[in-house]
Amino acid sequence: MTQDATPPGEARAPRESPFDGPPLSLEEELAAARADPEPGPDIDTVNESLADGLNRCPKCGSTDVRLRGSTEMLVCLFCRHQWQEARVEEEFGLGVGIDDLEGTVVAGGAEEISGDDDVITMTCGGCGADVVVDTAHAMNARCHWCRHTLNVNQRTPNGAVPDAVLPFRLTRDEAVEKIRAFASKRRLFAHPRFKKEFVPENVLGVYLPYLVIDARAEAAYVGQGEVQTRRWTEKQGDNTVTYYAADVYRVDRSVAFTVDDLTVEGAADRADFGAGTTNNIVNTILPFDTKNAVKWNSSYLVGFTSEKRDLDVADLQPVLEDQLLSIGRSQVHDTLAEFDRGVRWEAEKVDVRGSRWVSMYLPVWLYSYYQENTRMLHYIAVNARTGETMGSVPVSQPRLIAAALTVGTVLEGIAGWILVATA
Amino acid sequence: MIGEILWATSGDEAPLWLLAAGPAGAVATYWSLYRYYRNTDKSHAYERDTLISAQPVQGHREKVRHISRTRDSDIDGDNSSNHRERVQRLE
Repeated sequence: MTQDATPPGEARAPRESPFDGPPLSLEEELAAARADPEPGPDIDTVNESLADGLNRCPKCGSTDVRLRGSTEMLVCLFCRHQWQEARVEEEFGLGVGIDDLEGTVVAGGAEEISGDDDVITMTCGGCGADVVVDTAHAMNARCHWCRHTLNVNQRTPNGAVPDAVLPFRLTRDEAVEKIRAFASKRRLFAHPRFKKEFVPENVLGVYLPYLVIDARAEAAYVGQGEVQTRRWTEKQGDNTVTYYAADVYRVDRSVAFTVDDLTVEGAADRADFGAGTTNNIVNTILPFDTKNAVKWNSSYLVGFTSEKRDLDVADLQPVLEDQLLSIGRSQVHDTLAEFDRGVRWEAEKVDVRGSRWVSMYLPVWLYSYYQENTRMLHYIAVNARTGETMGSVPVSQPRLIAAALTVGTVLEGIAGWILVATA
Repeated sequence: MIGEILWATSGDEAPLWLLAAGPAGAVATYWSLYRYYRNTDKSHAYERDTLISAQPVQGHREKVRHISRTRDSDIDGDNSSNHRERVQRLE
């Protein structure tokens, strides 16, 4: 069900610059008038039932609406009515047609980011006041005059509004417990300062931007494989040496496959998996049950922070191809059993026949700890749908080295004892 | 581990193997603990955790040569299980 209320006022689009260049010449004006209209997105996912600005409860009209995590539904805090948006999987046919995908199909929320202004100004439909929303961190704001909740539902050119949102399922208390349990298993060698400053209650619910991709591809691989034909041992002094004989083959494999809901990071800060970050932690809590994502409604974000998408489809094509190559390699792996001495792939290619890109906000409970001496930001992240937890706990190097030296010394002692005993 | 050390004493190189047990154990302990705390090696296993529908794999093999005598027990540079190690891209 979707709400069908119409807000009393019209929201204003992001404010334009008062000066937009010199006036056009007559020829330019005529050319602009004759030009074809701008092509729309391949999949239009705009939630038409919501006007920009006020998301009203369909029963009582209140804008005090937020997500109720235990039911994954929107709840009106005024009359307690609950409802939810439609699943995008059925609404936009995202679960079908992957076998027939051609070219690059991009949903409206995944289109190229053309604006970099995070701050948009909206006019409150309740009282007419101008309210500023910083879309880099939030998609809702309360009008400071009349307390209405204003929502960013209109497609913005800065990548802040996705096609779909997957609501939080895990409550904050459940997330805190999971983070506490994760850290408590890693106390002995944890950095003393981390142990002292660890406050899991500081966990933050954040919607992170991802691009969810359906793709149809063909991958091909060429390499060498070896099959053992004989094995024998020869005496060399007191030692026996094992020798092998083998046939060497040129091996090629190709496979056509489709992938459904491959999920990649849509923010550059999260997509950097370099040694100086712990972004791999957030990556590890994938996958999400993206099939349950619902149409965009910024009321799902009330009370949570959000991060804005800043990567386009073009930026992520190499990431898609890389992941498709890996998937293809895993698919052909089972056909290599005959090469008992192994296979060395030397060349590969992937032909992406078709892909469909949808942008989504996915829910993460995130605890972060900044380690000052190494300037490293450590994350403990909880998948707010499945509960999968992963983290990075700063270590005490002296304790770790002491433990390693203790084990090494014990082993060396045993080795010395054996050598003396057998001498 | 101790069993392996005892087994290693059967050859001439046994003393070397045994003396390396201490440093090797120390390094292994350090790295296993470090990885347990920091999880630097973890990432999303999209090859396994994504819905994939594949056609039957096509391919063939062609014998190119024979190795009649080698001490190597397997092929050099086996990367068949390391799916994320990229090799030369063909266009």
